[in-house]
Amino acid sequence: MARSEEMSPAPPAQQAGPPATVPSPTHAPSGDDGGWGQLTPRVLAPAVGGLVLAAAVWAVGLPAEPQVFGAPLADLTIPVAILLGLAGLWLAGWTATTREPWRVVDIVTASVLGVAGGFLFVLWNLSWEVLKAPLAAFPPASGLGVGVWLVPGVLGALIIRKPGAAVYTELVAAVVSALVGNQWGFATVWYGLLEGLGPEVVFAILLYRRFGLGAAIGGGAGAGVVVGLLDTFLYYPEFSPTFKVAYIAATIVSGVVIAGIGSWALTKALARTGALASLASGRDARRV
Amino acid sequence: MSVLQLGAGDDVRDAPVARANPVAKLAVALLISVMLLLTVDVVTAGTALLLELAVLPWCGLSLRGLLRRGWVVLAGAIPAGLVTTWLGLDSGAVLVAVGPVTITEGSLLAGCAITLRILSVGLPGVVLLATTDPTDLADALAQVARLPHRFVLAALAAMRLFALIGSEWESLGVARRARGLGDDGALGRARTAVGQVLALLVLVIRRGTRLSMAMEARGFGLAGPRTWARQSRLRWSDAVVVAGGIVIVTVATAAGVLAGTWHLALA
Repeated sequence: MARSEEMSPAPPAQQAGPPATVPSPTHAPSGDDGGWGQLTPRVLAPAVGGLVLAAAVWAVGLPAEPQVFGAPLADLTIPVAILLGLAGLWLAGWTATTREPWRVVDIVTASVLGVAGGFLFVLWNLSWEVLKAPLAAFPPASGLGVGVWLVPGVLGALIIRKPGAAVYTELVAAVVSALVGNQWGFATVWYGLLEGLGPEVVFAILLYRRFGLGAAIGGGAGAGVVVGLLDTFLYYPEFSPTFKVAYIAATIVSGVVIAGIGSWALTKALARTGALASLASGRDARRV
Repeated sequence: MSVLQLGAGDDVRDAPVARANPVAKLAVALLISVMLLLTVDVVTAGTALLLELAVLPWCGLSLRGLLRRGWVVLAGAIPAGLVTTWLGLDSGAVLVAVGPVTITEGSLLAGCAITLRILSVGLPGVVLLATTDPTDLADALAQVARLPHRFVLAALAAMRLFALIGSEWESLGVARRARGLGDDGALGRARTAVGQVLALLVLVIRRGTRLSMAMEARGFGLAGPRTWARQSRLRWSDAVVVAGGIVIVTVATAAGVLAGTWHLALA
């Protein structure tokens, strides 16, 4: 196995779980210091650096010159600042993880979860067109349905518990949805990538140690923010700011309730059936 | 269900673009989507759409095949444009005013731009997805784009389960109907649907665990060099396809900038 040299006190493959020092993620974060024990300068540097850079860009603002195709560069100030801040935090989380390599069972389970998610997307893509009709009176409310499209990413992260699980699962689901064919075509793939990055950043900030209800809600909210911003950028760029804010609020609520709490409840129920026995989330559930 | 068809079908002819390496087609689709999503204007999106339609005869998709696979893009593009026309920010002369709804020159133009943009971004995707077999795509992603092969091949293996997942979903639905579930109002139907999703996930994860054991038993995921039964290589014709994509976005963006309508949509 590829990972053997990195896990020198190697337990046999079936038991290769998180090291014993990692606290059980279902425990309350207060009281145990293990989760944040690795907060070394090497970890803090990218986080602080990213936030400082972001604050600097925000405060100073990008120059109006040079112009990008006639648009002043200053228009990009806020997106660049957000991107820098998130990148720093994500890099910090990534550096701090123990980085256990993915096992084959992790990869294959994440893949089939993604394909199952893609199948459910195909059903939802069609039914949402019908279900959202009563919401036409208040168009921003259509954001309330996006949570279903965010489930695979959060669910993948909660079940697999590896860095990159959210992005990978959501991307596979989006690719399946695009391959089958839907009303958004290739843009689905971009959406899948970014909808996975939303929760991924949240789980990275939690150092891939917390996979309880709080982390799930955070992940769902992260995905909701991303999809709200994407939709207002791609589909509703000509709308009023009030509409955009209302829409993003709706996507966040949907992300928290459906993708966050929903995925957490699904993971609990799945663990109870024993289906997760060979995965990190299943081992943990047995102990409780 | 014809909706559930994955990959290239029998309505695709052999043609230069269809034959190109999937990674080259993917690069073109990514490039066009990024460059066109940056702006909302009629000129850029319209020029790109015209150029794409001009290249279509070399893509191997018949008009019927294009409509069969692309109608969903059309079904998404037209409502999005209409909604923008009705509700978008008003500017310019008022064309129609009915109660609170006003259609102005500005919002009409914005609606057209949104529709054209979705179509011009969607068309290369439709061609890519219609003319590419998932197996070829996976081979190209792992060998040409050098993505981690364990992930690419596991995703491909999982996609083979797609039809099976569909039939399992149907059996679960039938079983639930037989038990008399899902017949008590909207709330009851929603609860039944969630239960059915959970049951599907249990089946799928169990199958995935077994699949991974079977794959590992055949040596999948071992350290050491990997060999490939199907070779995927870039050819000169792939460079031509990529160059064509670059020409399309350059001409479209230049047209938008020259017409003065190009503006960054991020602000």
